[in-house]
Amino acid sequence: MKKAIIVILLLGVIAAVAGWGFSAPTRLSESQAATLDEGDPAKGELVFWAGGCASCHAAKGAKGEDLLKLGGGLRLETPFGTFVAPNISSDRTDGIGAWSLADLANAMTHGTSPDGRNYYPAFPYTSYARMSDKDIGDLYAFLKTVPAVEGKAADHELGFPFNIRRGIGLWKWMFLDPAPVIAAPANGTEIDQALWARGRYLVEGPGHCGECHTARDFAGGLILSDWLGGAAAPTGEGRIPNITPVEGGFGSWSAADIAYYLESGFTPEYDSVGGEMVHVQENMARLPAIDRDAIAAYLKAIPPVPPPGS
Amino acid sequence: MPTGMCAVLPVERGVPGASKEGEEEMHYFRKFVVAGLAAGLGFAAIPAQASDDPVAVRQSLMASMGAAAGLAGGMMKGEIAYSPAAGKSAIATARAVSLSFGDYFPAGSDQGNTGAAPSIWENADGFAAELAKFTDATAKATEASGKDGPADVEAFKAAMGPIFGTCKSCHETYRKKN
Repeated sequence: MKKAIIVILLLGVIAAVAGWGFSAPTRLSESQAATLDEGDPAKGELVFWAGGCASCHAAKGAKGEDLLKLGGGLRLETPFGTFVAPNISSDRTDGIGAWSLADLANAMTHGTSPDGRNYYPAFPYTSYARMSDKDIGDLYAFLKTVPAVEGKAADHELGFPFNIRRGIGLWKWMFLDPAPVIAAPANGTEIDQALWARGRYLVEGPGHCGECHTARDFAGGLILSDWLGGAAAPTGEGRIPNITPVEGGFGSWSAADIAYYLESGFTPEYDSVGGEMVHVQENMARLPAIDRDAIAAYLKAIPPVPPPGS
Repeated sequence: MPTGMCAVLPVERGVPGASKEGEEEMHYFRKFVVAGLAAGLGFAAIPAQASDDPVAVRQSLMASMGAAAGLAGGMMKGEIAYSPAAGKSAIATARAVSLSFGDYFPAGSDQGNTGAAPSIWENADGFAAELAKFTDATAKATEASGKDGPADVEAFKAAMGPIFGTCKSCHETYRKKN
């Protein structure tokens, strides 16, 4: 009996130590950080739109030039609490103007802040972790060019236990994986491999499409076996659609239909884009046509996720 | 006031079966009341039937708009050969939808199989402003369309484009996600 208690206590201590260890914020290694290069702001602007940064970090309803005023403040009301998008403008005290390139890379690919805290995954670093160093370098150069906006955004409003940032480290340990979700194009499709790979990069990486279009488990991790199979809306009412090539659903869209939708905002039935997807579509419309074709090629050649109950 | 008429009409219809002795006076009284109400409401009685189900009406209006947009988009993309008559038809449909659509969102019609977001009723002024953008765009397009429709596809794009722009701007906030 005494032995059993000692074993249980020991296991508890091990679990606590391991939990503390696994929850530690991770960073790029010194050598990785050393290879980063500040890039080209013009290319970085395309990365900025591909990544949808303005959709959360600009003011709600911002259009045109206002999309570059990245003062934050947008509230994301989720089952875990309310997240408030921070100021990522070039302001040196309230924004991220004082960040190094390694700081940005650590934030985007490791979900770790310059002062070593874990970011909440409302900031989709689980997707951004798949971004190339080059794109992050270009983005860094572009973010220096956007206007400085004064004023910090409000704090997140989260209840216990979600208000413990350290705990997010465990979540990251479970769910942060920069490996591609879909290893290769679905069988039986004759496609341009390079185009498909570019589409995968855009969708799984900067585009962070899976963050809304994939269902999550009880812990808030994406259920990768149902990749892009649709999900309950993370905020507000409605459902985010299944965008896998499933029969009787999105499978009826041709690659040209998908590319046209991303460019114009119209479905093949000439229904228009709505909700948060309006921002996403308008961002995608700013990319070169070949990138929209790449996204379409990828979406046409991923495993179909049958709708629930079929 | 279409819904008001709905409540009244069945009374008139029910009268012949009920017109027995002793009820004659009531019968005439009812007829009188009904006639008065009908006169007061004027031709509001016509949409009264359709608006029994405002959700179905507004969905059929949007379906007409979608069909017109499909024709318009097909011509704009060059997939369908452009003709001024077809261009005029698409614009006329958009005009009719823009003028009538807003009448089919009575309080309580946010339930059931509808894509209408609660924000339509929570922010009625904002929704009205989006509808106004829609009707403004169709008014200008109708004017440009003229008697024979826009002469060529470029003229059609110029007229129809702004109407297309208003779809998204309203759906962003006032339609449930999809």
